[in-house]
Amino acid sequence: MEPGKRRTKDDTWKADDLRRQLWAVQSGGAKEEKKHREKQLRKESEADITDHKEHRDPDRDIQRHRDRAPDREARSSKENPRREGDRERYGERRKDSRDWEKERPREKHREQDAEKSRSKAKDREKEKERRLRREELRQATAHRDLLEWEAWPDRGEKKVRSVSKVRIEEKERRDEDPERGDEDRERRYRERKLQYGDSKENPLKYWLYKEGERRHRKKHREKNSTREKREKYSKEKNSLFSDKEGEERHREIRHKEGFHVDERHRSSAERKERSSKEEYRKREPESGEHRNQGAHLRRDGTGSQHAENLVRSNGKGKDSRRKHSREEGQVSGKSALRQNAEEAVEIEKEDTDLANAGVDEYPVTFEDDFEDYEDDFEVCDGDDDDSNRSDSKEKTEELPLARKREIQEIQKAINAENERIEELSSQQFQKQVWLENDKDPRADPNSSHSRAPVCGIFVDFATASRRQKSRTQALKQKSRSTKLLRLIDLDFSLTFSLLDLPPVNEYDMYIRNFGKKNTKQAYVQYNEDNVERDIQTEDIETREVWTQHPGEGAIVSGGSEERETSDATVVPKIDTPRLSNFLRKACQVIAILLEEDRLAAEPTCKLRTQDNTLSISDSASQLNTGLPFLQNRKVSCLHASQVQRQTVVSVHDLPGKGFAQPLDHRYILCVWDIWQPSGPQKVLICESKVTCCCFSPFKAFLLFAGTVHGSVVVWDLREDSRIHPYVKLSNCSWTFRMPTFSTDGILTSVNHQSPLQAVEPISTSVCRKQSFVLSPFSTEEGTSGLSFHIASLDESGVLNVWVVVELPKADIAGSISDLGLIPGGRIKLVHSAVIQLGGRLSHEDSEFWGTTQTLSIKFLPSDPSHFIVGTDVGLINHGTRQDLKVSPKSFKPQQCGLRAVKVNVIDFSPFGEPIFLAGCSDGSLRLHQMTSEWPLAQWDGSTRGHAITGLQWSPTRPAMFLVQDAASTVYIWDLLQSDLGPVATQPISPDRLVAMTVTGEPERPGGSFLALVLARSSGTVDVQYLKKQWAATQVEEIQWLRLFLQEAPTERGHGGCGHVTKAMCV
Amino acid sequence: MATSAGMSSAGPSFSGVDVLPETEKHSGDPENTYILRPIFQQRFRPSVIKDCIHTLLKAELAGTEYSAEETPQLTKRLSENIKDKLKEMGFDRYKMVVQVVIGEQRGEGVFMAARCFWDADTDNYTHDVFMNDSLFCVVAAFGCFYY
Repeated sequence: MEPGKRRTKDDTWKADDLRRQLWAVQSGGAKEEKKHREKQLRKESEADITDHKEHRDPDRDIQRHRDRAPDREARSSKENPRREGDRERYGERRKDSRDWEKERPREKHREQDAEKSRSKAKDREKEKERRLRREELRQATAHRDLLEWEAWPDRGEKKVRSVSKVRIEEKERRDEDPERGDEDRERRYRERKLQYGDSKENPLKYWLYKEGERRHRKKHREKNSTREKREKYSKEKNSLFSDKEGEERHREIRHKEGFHVDERHRSSAERKERSSKEEYRKREPESGEHRNQGAHLRRDGTGSQHAENLVRSNGKGKDSRRKHSREEGQVSGKSALRQNAEEAVEIEKEDTDLANAGVDEYPVTFEDDFEDYEDDFEVCDGDDDDSNRSDSKEKTEELPLARKREIQEIQKAINAENERIEELSSQQFQKQVWLENDKDPRADPNSSHSRAPVCGIFVDFATASRRQKSRTQALKQKSRSTKLLRLIDLDFSLTFSLLDLPPVNEYDMYIRNFGKKNTKQAYVQYNEDNVERDIQTEDIETREVWTQHPGEGAIVSGGSEERETSDATVVPKIDTPRLSNFLRKACQVIAILLEEDRLAAEPTCKLRTQDNTLSISDSASQLNTGLPFLQNRKVSCLHASQVQRQTVVSVHDLPGKGFAQPLDHRYILCVWDIWQPSGPQKVLICESKVTCCCFSPFKAFLLFAGTVHGSVVVWDLREDSRIHPYVKLSNCSWTFRMPTFSTDGILTSVNHQSPLQAVEPISTSVCRKQSFVLSPFSTEEGTSGLSFHIASLDESGVLNVWVVVELPKADIAGSISDLGLIPGGRIKLVHSAVIQLGGRLSHEDSEFWGTTQTLSIKFLPSDPSHFIVGTDVGLINHGTRQDLKVSPKSFKPQQCGLRAVKVNVIDFSPFGEPIFLAGCSDGSLRLHQMTSEWPLAQWDGSTRGHAITGLQWSPTRPAMFLVQDAASTVYIWDLLQSDLGPVATQPISPDRLVAMTVTGEPERPGGSFLALVLARSSGTVDVQYLKKQWAATQVEEIQWLRLFLQEAPTERGHGGCGHVTKAMCV
Repeated sequence: MATSAGMSSAGPSFSGVDVLPETEKHSGDPENTYILRPIFQQRFRPSVIKDCIHTLLKAELAGTEYSAEETPQLTKRLSENIKDKLKEMGFDRYKMVVQVVIGEQRGEGVFMAARCFWDADTDNYTHDVFMNDSLFCVVAAFGCFYY
């Protein structure tokens, strides 16, 4: 290190050596003096601060003037490069300029001496040192501000030129250095090696070292030796350590400085003022003291020594310090401590104070840029002192010549500068100071620039200046900002929303990932109870449907909904006629059943209580003729159906009293069922008086009637009751049926002109079994049911035959052609034939009687073409429809000759026997055979002369018949029991008998019955059920009757007419 | 969600300020003249800048898929590009700060906001958002006037 340092411009300065020499000479008791000095220095420094400002300012100012003047001159004119270089160097050392001035002569002498002695070795060493030095400088330049180097190349070169060629070379190298900054580290290492090597290997060094030792006192020697070692380490030490070292050295230096204390202070004060930082001055007095002390001491040290030395040492110091600082990071704290310890051993006790001061100082230095700058400078000095000291021991004698020369040059320059400075006006200086206070950062770099070249520590200044620059900038900006802030208003802006991206909901995410474009999911199936979910499905449409297999009826399927059922209801079809048929039948049955029940419950008692039951009958019932419309009407006629045995029709005359009803002038026919005596089945009305009536032969649904006006009337009982008028009587509605067909007013040419006597159906149905051979069409007619004829006989002997025609279709609107037909009726009568009975009869048999009256007519059941007609002359004519000749033309009574005897009633036997009974008005009763003119038997006095008004064979017993006479007596004849007279006689009184009919049913399962329907004069109708003996059919009764019939002719033949009469009379 | 941001700022030209003359010269007149308002033509115009940013974003990011590895570089590049563009537009004495945030679109919600302490008369900002299926990009450009 030491040799290298010497090489540069500072090479020539053996500052340390010189200093030490001086110090050795000047200061006797170093230690004691040190202490004194420290104290003194402190006091002085305190004083300095005040002094600088108050007392010493003028001096300083003068000096500065001198310093500045050349500076400016050099810059402006650049006349004297050398001077410039000197000045620069001087600038670095300005502080110490005064010391230099005074010490110069002495130092010069010493140096010259030393140089002379070392002149021989000098050249060789120089080269080595130059190399090292170069490297060091490179490092230095690299670490210092390159800017500085670049900023001052000219000056440096000038300086070098002025100083020596060697230096020029070095400087050139140095100029190159900044560009080689990259290689710094390598160089550093090399340096280190060299340094080590130097200290140990280089004989010159050793020699110098020894020389130095010799020259110095022992104490110094020891220190130096240790210092050498330390220095080697010191490169690795941290800055603090180096500082301490520096302080130690300062202490040593201070011994030397002791003499120049006053001057030193002055110079240092000047320098400080010049570089003057406000902060520096404003610093705490204490710290300022310390700092000043430290700074002064160091400066003093340098100042006390030769200028060259100082400069060089500065350069070295920078280098070393740089190394230190660089290696600070590398060096461990321990090594530093160790070194400290070593130092501590070496350092004398007196030094501790200073060391403390140094320590105090250090932190302070970093507080401010200015201080830093100074510290850098000073510390470097200290280091330099160190190195210088060690160097000086070796080198003071090594490089006497070159140094001498350089020193001389420097001294000259310093002198010149001093002179210039003095020339400067104090005012200017003050001004400058003032400005510096304002704009320190600016001033400082300038000052550093001016100084740096002189002492070679411009690198140091570069960092400082850099710091200052930044500082100044910061300050500038700060001031700027403060000023600007007054002008502008800063405010908080609104909060700008740069981006507001809402979170994507699940659905969108789902759609983004899985959905297709242009599709939207409308609904999602969800449970019914999750109504709060926004996605819901419509209700599912459900419908219940049923079906049936196999289908019954029109509806085979349907649904629960009304719509469905309504659909279904359209389908059913009701067979209305069938239903009505069914209902009608059912109603009939039900009604009959009900009636029977009623009868069974109370008939006997009722009848018996009324004592209606005749002796000949087991029981009796009364048809309810108490109905409003039947009251006060007498029954004129009764007729029982031959087919439907229980059906009885009663013909009621006009009421006796006025009833004030529309029915009053009409005749009423009631169709009864004898089992339902409570009321008539049908009620028929007729305009004219009905004289006779009959039912249709096969089924009793047609009722024919003949009127007094000669008309034939037909009622169709099947007709709907709605087409007939209907009257409400005593909360019961009754339908009064109008005649379906009436011959009134039509067919007047053929119609009857006189009251009708009888209406008889012409049919074979009754006797079908016996005479089916007779008419091939009879069965067909029977099956058709409605193809039959009706014969109507009036009093004048006109017999009309009518054909009953059933229209296929009813015409509600009425028929145009069939005028007698009721609208909606289907039955009409067509006139078939007319037979005039009266004329013929009168022609043949009744010569004296003019015209005979026909009273009754009966058709032969076995052959309907034959008929017998009862007349009023006691004869019964026999005729046919076809006008054929019949064997007996008439049937005569046993009495010969014509008499005025009316044959009121005639009746054929219902059992097919060709016999008939005839009752006459004289009370005679005749039994005729169809084959004989004369009667089989004749009973004249059976009724005691009362006219026979009614006669009827029993429907149940072939040999029995019932007779009614005008005396209201009923006779029961049983031919098998007695052929002489009636077996029973029953007079009907007090209510006289008006009309009578017999009905009965032999095949009835419950036992045959024979009912005698009696119409009384009071208008009541009784039904007398005859006793069993008459009702029940007896075994082989027909054979017995036939036998009876065969015997009768013989008997009759014997007796003849008179005989019979005789017998009868008996 | 992965987000990466790149920031790039362009310092204003300090030249005018930097060349503070020697202390001596200025010491005489401490009165400084400051430009307190930008020239109208050089004002920070958000609409223009927004368009510029938008076109740039479109060009850069159209069809770009988010990738965690490349996005940091992408943001840096984008911010640099945008900053350069803005500088080219000649907003004199403006310090531009461009912030680019790119994030992946994964359905999360994002809210970005900015707040400035500035001189509302001169300073302004603009921002633009670019989004595609995989990423969103928010560019905020702040212009602060340097007095």
